[in-house]
Amino acid sequence: MGFSPHRNREAVLEALASTVHRDPTAYPYQFQDDSYLSPRTSAEFKLFSLSQESGRAAAKYFVNNNPKFFTKDFAEPHIPCLMPESVALRLEEVSEAALRERISLRKVSAAVEMYDQLLQSGTPVSMETTHEMLDLICVYCDRDPVQEGAPILEDGEGGDDTKRRKVRGRRGTDLKFSWKENNNAERIFQQLPERDSRCYSALIRGMVKHGVFSKAFNMYTELLNHRLTADVHVFNALISAAPDVREKFSERWDLITELLNQMSQQKVRPNLLTFNSVLKALRRCGFLAKSLAPQTLNEMKALGIAPSLATYDHVLAVFYKSASSGPNNTDILQDILTELEGTRFTCQDPDDVFFFSSAMRICLDSKDLELGYKVHQLVEVGENWRLLGDSYQQSIYYGRFFNLLCMMEHVDVVLRWYARIIPSLYYPNPQGMRDLLQALDTDSRLDLLPAIWKDIKTLGHDNKVDLVGELLSLMARDEHSAEVQESFAQCALDVKSAFDGRSSMEWTTPSLSHITTLMLRANKLQQAWEMLQLFKAQNRVPSEALMNSFLSACQSSGAPHRAVELVQLSAAFCLPATPGLAKRALAELELTEEQRSILSEFEAAAEEEQ
Amino acid sequence: MLFSIYHRAFTGANTLSTCIIRQCEKKDVSDQNETTTKDVKPEVEAKANDGGETQQQGDGKVEQVLSKPSQVKSDGAKSGKEGLLDLLGAMKVEVTNKRKLKNLKTKQSFETSAQYKSKPAAMESTISMFQKATVQASAKSDALDPDIVAAASAAAATLPNQSQAESELLKQLRQRKALTEAQKKGDINNLGDLIADMKVGKKPARQNAWPADQIRFDDDGQGYTHDRGITGELANIRKRRNVFPTKRLNIFSPTTDQQGAKPTLWDMDFANELSLSANQMPRNGFEEMIQWTKEGKLWQYPINNEIGLEDEASVPFHEHVFLEKHLEEGFPRQGPVRHFMELVVAGLSRNPYLTVQQKKEHISWFRDYFHQKKDVLSEADVDLS
Repeated sequence: MGFSPHRNREAVLEALASTVHRDPTAYPYQFQDDSYLSPRTSAEFKLFSLSQESGRAAAKYFVNNNPKFFTKDFAEPHIPCLMPESVALRLEEVSEAALRERISLRKVSAAVEMYDQLLQSGTPVSMETTHEMLDLICVYCDRDPVQEGAPILEDGEGGDDTKRRKVRGRRGTDLKFSWKENNNAERIFQQLPERDSRCYSALIRGMVKHGVFSKAFNMYTELLNHRLTADVHVFNALISAAPDVREKFSERWDLITELLNQMSQQKVRPNLLTFNSVLKALRRCGFLAKSLAPQTLNEMKALGIAPSLATYDHVLAVFYKSASSGPNNTDILQDILTELEGTRFTCQDPDDVFFFSSAMRICLDSKDLELGYKVHQLVEVGENWRLLGDSYQQSIYYGRFFNLLCMMEHVDVVLRWYARIIPSLYYPNPQGMRDLLQALDTDSRLDLLPAIWKDIKTLGHDNKVDLVGELLSLMARDEHSAEVQESFAQCALDVKSAFDGRSSMEWTTPSLSHITTLMLRANKLQQAWEMLQLFKAQNRVPSEALMNSFLSACQSSGAPHRAVELVQLSAAFCLPATPGLAKRALAELELTEEQRSILSEFEAAAEEEQ
Repeated sequence: MLFSIYHRAFTGANTLSTCIIRQCEKKDVSDQNETTTKDVKPEVEAKANDGGETQQQGDGKVEQVLSKPSQVKSDGAKSGKEGLLDLLGAMKVEVTNKRKLKNLKTKQSFETSAQYKSKPAAMESTISMFQKATVQASAKSDALDPDIVAAASAAAATLPNQSQAESELLKQLRQRKALTEAQKKGDINNLGDLIADMKVGKKPARQNAWPADQIRFDDDGQGYTHDRGITGELANIRKRRNVFPTKRLNIFSPTTDQQGAKPTLWDMDFANELSLSANQMPRNGFEEMIQWTKEGKLWQYPINNEIGLEDEASVPFHEHVFLEKHLEEGFPRQGPVRHFMELVVAGLSRNPYLTVQQKKEHISWFRDYFHQKKDVLSEADVDLS
């Protein structure tokens, strides 16, 4: 055979994949199945991706729990991942093999039970099995992880194992259960005749993971007293827990340096996560961080450990506080981006995904468009886009990027970016749409407003009263050419039907006025009249300016009866403008005798009151 | 260190900076007797020199520069630290003419014409442009060199490490020049922008863009200024400089002490967390096929019919086909048992689905079976020889 199997296994496919670029007009690949099921809003996106994942999980659950229906294997070569996995216990006798089986199937309570039975029966359990046992209990905090796809019971014990890719922030570590006092891990640990460093390691790591930090440090002291060596993972865990066991910044840093020195003395080699933990802890050390973070970074480089994006994210957090603290010098970010230019990253730390959105926040706060482009350039290198994180994190990044573009860029470029990233990468929230409206306003491209309204409807934001109100006010603010005015009128009618269709949307006086104005400008008197009726129905009062402009419209389109009705309506509203309107109408319009008399009544009535 | 500044300034040869012209014009307007820091600044910060127009202005610059020498001479006479600050103030003017800087750096004494011929070769090409521009000025500026050098060495003489002190002084001057320059430029930018943005409806946010563009003074002592216009070119230069000082914690020493360990449950948990945090979804059908290939669900391309049968490749065919040798021991040579076994062997030799090992096991199962059933066979009078 000419090919070495492992290196070239995906080479052909990778070459093909490199010829295909992202199609900005298409929805993400996982939805390209049924066009009815294309997610048009962010809520639909979450719903559809969750349902896909849950469908897969349900199928897996069914296959695993009914293996007797899936015995036929005619795939050549054999495909192990499609066959049912063994999830049911097979070994029932009290033996170490049964214990190992329970550990491998992640059945925590069954394993603990089996272990206790073994101890009671006097059978010694090997050290290795004990290690794995302790690891199991400590990782899952003495609870059974919920099986993938299984129905979640009502008492709401969410499992660390359920893959919730699209749900924001739900990572395994976020579901923090609390470590109970003297739970099975501690009990078993105390019962052990001899405890080596790996036992301590499991306990300490579990305690840090589940939030009992001071206990973890006590356990570490005990480890030192027994003259054992901790491994790098223990140190990483303790360093990350240091800010939680000390109050003052200097004490926190002293504790961290003490741990690092002990690490060095015990000849434990630090890794990337060590330094990332140090930097993450430094974020909570106040003013000390600014001088110490660079030193940590240099230490990393001196040891030949390449920083990951999480490293730089922590550095940025140290040096760039929020926008409220005044304008920042973006030199540090500039230098970081220059250094990272063209680098391809993989995910080495779960915090890597926060780098891009932090960097973009800094660009947004300092209103630096060029820097924003540089950040985006880094995102587009290789597979770095994968480090934008899950859909929530990604929407934060693109939201900030789009905000920056709308603020700083010329509207043509903004619209090009709009076509490129929306909605294939990002569903703007109402604030994002408002930024876009402002950008259009600044560069006088209000003629595009009806098209934007269509997008607002597609995105599902047509029920946001503020956004719709702003759209209407922009359309009604100035007069435009006849074609634009006509398109605005059509758009306004569409907005009206959106309001009418929803009982939850409340009409506001400005929006009613704006729509009426737009109707008048496009000479749609009938619709404008209907709008006035709507005022009455909604118990809102039209303004004097509106009434006057209506009257002018009546005059220009030659509808005197309308004018009379208008004055009557105005009187019904008890508007103080009524006599003025009546006067105008009498003066400007050609009226019949009957109309004249009606109008003069209004005029007279007002004068009488005066 | 100093030369690197100039090197940076001249690599961006093609971009014409109008700031020079603006600066020069501004200077023409201002009081001629003022310390003309701004006119010499563009020489330091300038991206390119235009040639004719700015040359003349360059002359003008130098002339104003020349108006200083008398002051410098008198100040140069002062010795001791009390006059140091005055010297620094006076030195601002001439120092940044790079020719003079080079002279100071090479620690020549007062001879001038010899000095600027002895350029380091590396600087030759990059500063040639500026040389042409300031060649007229050189004759007059010669006269300044001794004063500058005198002033610098006088100032430095008061400090313990003379040569280092000279370079420190020059660095300090550049920093302060940068500061004044920055503040100057800030005003200009704000004003111009305010006027330009009188259009109704322009967002105030746009105005805020300009301060971001402002050349700012970096207060951690690195003394470089920051211009957004040619970030790409400057970036290459900036790469050489560390954003952070090089101090480190000095806790660890670079040893290669590393143990490899079996993956534990913790590692699997961490890997799971990593895969959840990054976005692993395939972007197109090919990436999905790559994922499936990694999971083992899809054939590998280019298609190899013998995937999964690598072991079999090493087994020669005759071991599959010629199985009679397994019948030599344990079975009778004649009789119905033999006959039966020959049929079994004939069938096995044509079976492509079993491995050689499985075939051998098959035959040895029969061997054991017939051994066990020996008494039944002897009862049936089968010849067991």
